[in-house]
Amino acid sequence: MAAVAAGRARLSDRGAGIVSVSLNLTAPRAQEARIGRAIGSNGYKVLMIVGSLLLIGAGLLATIGHERRLAILLLSPTLACYLPATWWKRQLSVLPPSGNDLTGRLSYAVLSSLRPGVALQPQSMWAAIKDHWQARFFVNHLLISDAMMAQNMSTDPAELEYALQLATDLAQKYNSPVIDTGFITAGLLLASKSMRQLLVQLKAQETDIEAIAGWIGRNLEEAQKARRNFGGIGRDWAFGFTPLLNRFGQNVSAAITDHGANFGWMTGSDGVKAIETAFDNRASAVVLIGPDGIGKSTSVYALAQRLIEGHTSRRLAYHQIISLNATDITSNARGPGELEQMMLNLANEAAHAGHVILFLDDAQLFLGGGPGTFDGTQILLSIVQAQSVPIILAFAPNDYQRLRAQNQSLASLLTPITLQELPESGVMRVLEDSAVGLENKHNVLVVYEALHEAYRLSGRYEQDEADPGKTINLLAQAVSHIEHSIVTAASVQQAVEQTRGVKVGTAEGAETDTLLHLEDKIHERMINQSHAVGVVANALRRARAGVANPRRPIGSFLFLGPTGVGKTELAKAIAAVYFGAEGNMVRLDMSEYQQPESVDRLLSNGREEHQSLIMAVREQPFSVVLLDEIEKAHPNVLNLLLQLFDEGHLTDTAGKTVSFKDCIIIVTSNAGAQTIREHVQNGESLESFQAEFIDQLINSGQFKPELLNRFDEMVLFGPLQPKELAQVVALMMREINQTLANQNISVELTPAAIQKVVEAGYDPRLGARPMRRTLQRGVEDAVAQKILRKEIAAGDHVTLDVGDLTLSPTPTAQTEDQTPAPPAAPASN
Amino acid sequence: MLVLSFLSWWYGPGWKQVFGSLGPRLKGVLTGFSVTQLLRTLAQPWRRIITYPGASLDAKVKAWGDNMVSRAIGFTVRFFVLLAALLVLIATAVLTIAEVIVWPLLPLAVPGCLIVGLVL
Repeated sequence: MAAVAAGRARLSDRGAGIVSVSLNLTAPRAQEARIGRAIGSNGYKVLMIVGSLLLIGAGLLATIGHERRLAILLLSPTLACYLPATWWKRQLSVLPPSGNDLTGRLSYAVLSSLRPGVALQPQSMWAAIKDHWQARFFVNHLLISDAMMAQNMSTDPAELEYALQLATDLAQKYNSPVIDTGFITAGLLLASKSMRQLLVQLKAQETDIEAIAGWIGRNLEEAQKARRNFGGIGRDWAFGFTPLLNRFGQNVSAAITDHGANFGWMTGSDGVKAIETAFDNRASAVVLIGPDGIGKSTSVYALAQRLIEGHTSRRLAYHQIISLNATDITSNARGPGELEQMMLNLANEAAHAGHVILFLDDAQLFLGGGPGTFDGTQILLSIVQAQSVPIILAFAPNDYQRLRAQNQSLASLLTPITLQELPESGVMRVLEDSAVGLENKHNVLVVYEALHEAYRLSGRYEQDEADPGKTINLLAQAVSHIEHSIVTAASVQQAVEQTRGVKVGTAEGAETDTLLHLEDKIHERMINQSHAVGVVANALRRARAGVANPRRPIGSFLFLGPTGVGKTELAKAIAAVYFGAEGNMVRLDMSEYQQPESVDRLLSNGREEHQSLIMAVREQPFSVVLLDEIEKAHPNVLNLLLQLFDEGHLTDTAGKTVSFKDCIIIVTSNAGAQTIREHVQNGESLESFQAEFIDQLINSGQFKPELLNRFDEMVLFGPLQPKELAQVVALMMREINQTLANQNISVELTPAAIQKVVEAGYDPRLGARPMRRTLQRGVEDAVAQKILRKEIAAGDHVTLDVGDLTLSPTPTAQTEDQTPAPPAAPASN
Repeated sequence: MLVLSFLSWWYGPGWKQVFGSLGPRLKGVLTGFSVTQLLRTLAQPWRRIITYPGASLDAKVKAWGDNMVSRAIGFTVRFFVLLAALLVLIATAVLTIAEVIVWPLLPLAVPGCLIVGLVL
């Protein structure tokens, strides 16, 4: 007898002490399992064929050959074939559980694979069961290779004892009387330390193993379900014909009976039960309320399955649900009058048929709630008032609120049922079932990690839809990004990157290089301001390494300083270097948002509203958001920023949420620019007076402390010094040369010329901003004249000295200190 | 050992299974023939004739007449289907009971047929 010592004490501790974990391979049930395996399905077929041939032979001998004696003799081997075949079919191949001990509960597949002479330990157990579909299901969905399993499976019998205990506990958890291969595999994966380490590397958790065991259990349950009954031959004989409904509607129930669709556990969901109860309580019209993706249609389909299988009250049994499509109906009518008549005819036909429930998906389309739709409110009202046909209407919450506001009489006749979003465990269960559908449809394998990733990323990037719909959609999109026919977490990430334009995968290759050398790359475009460059670069690195708070924007920064010192240029540089192009920047001049109603403009969801922050970020979710001159915005606008920095999203005027979690938000201000200049002119470093300066901003009422506290960093930009301005000139000359490269001409300034440009273009109040104009006049004009005079030709390299420059004094410009004050002091909360 | 295992199943759980199969088999027949539905709707029309709103009086009268005919057709069809269901039900019950009776004799029939065949 090969036996594994029982762990009764430990099982008792877990509250599962009624089950013994001793395994007796010489017990009758174990022997029966081995006999069953020895006969096998092929043996069964042979026994049946031989038995049938013998029976035919006996019959022929008795009837044609008149050899009754021989015929009776032949019956003996005939029965000798049939009887063991019957035994195999009804008992051995099924091996129902008997008793509470492990030997009595192990499945046929497990028990028949074990030999009494073989030492029992995890490795031998795995070798015995590894080819069973449940074991394959496990390792495939966790992406564990056979080699990895073999390498990490121990030979310690004590570990098998523990594995069997875990398998027994899991079976108990899922109310399974049989301990099948799936539970044993789960036990083996969880019992061994090295296997658990492997799971950590594969980013799988203990709960995932348990969930997969449950997933297998559900698949098994569906497969083992008795043939489904749809009511027999006379089901519809008392109901009427529905030619119009067949033409303009989709018979959901017929689709289920014809194609065998199965909504599994959804048929017992709260939403389905609520609809059924409402109709049982004589409701004539039920309205399902919930956002897109929450499962309104699926609940109705699941109800259709329950009804057509007769698992409901007598009143509703075998009723058929017919879904009406507003677009189809509208396109088949020649005018409003015909449309109304058609609706009435459809309702009348449903009422007379006596077994139809009408389902109006996107019901607002029947009430004039969409482009090109008709307003059938009055028709619908008369149908609902007549109570002649049960109707289910599906509405998004906003549409239902609109209906209640605009047509109280219709709304009062409807029985509302609000569908709630499933918890994560529920969504995962739906995903598991959906994954099986995707695997069958596309002939792919969906690994379990992909389900988690789809749930995580859809939660982060899809705000317009609810779960489980949004996660199922993302998983379906991930099928287009498979590698070797496998949908992995990377496939899901690629689907998000392609559809949303954000970076969610692990930084690799060139991107890693860019991230690690971000400061250098930014400094190729701008001079100095190393502290500001550093904090922004660090924020990006934190976000891409996955250590930043995922519920807030990548970074939020307040850049303070005089004009022309590089605040905007830094934002542009980040957009170009990391976000792909300078164009990947949402830039708003906050001086245009000085009125209280400016908040509405920022949150407008209209495409025509070019000043809508929310629309701009919806179109470019992965971008730099630059809010210039924030001190000029209305206090209500500043309050809006508090929510943005806290929650990482804003809600538009239509109630839809837009995420800013993949944005860097840079807010600039010239407030206190003169103070910064004075401190720097006195030789103080920016860091030395930053705290005092921020206090001054708060005390002067220019910024509220709660707003300043929400920025990741507040960075002071000092005025540029003449030496730095010379570097700015060099940068700008590079741009001029890039333009001239088309004509194969290059220009260079002598050190004296550079000095001259700096002197002419330097204005302490405007920073480097006049420099571009100075270069335009001094260098570009000079080069233009030389080209026109044919003094320069293609291929020439020109060096300009002081005398070659066409400089004139810089015109004065209005400085930041002369700009009007904000319309009102910041409001206090 | 093998024979003992077989016999202990045959005269134990196996025989019990045959007993137990009577209920599901009869239920299958009742469901397959929609017996409950047919009994509930025995006198109802054979499918329903539709009258659309605004139909003329003539059309309504014609529909009423059609419905009466339809009820007669409905009753006839359902009655004969119920009769067929009853026959299948009886046959299923008889065959299952016969199986229950014959079941314990089958293992004995293996040597029995051999002996009878040799003796005859």
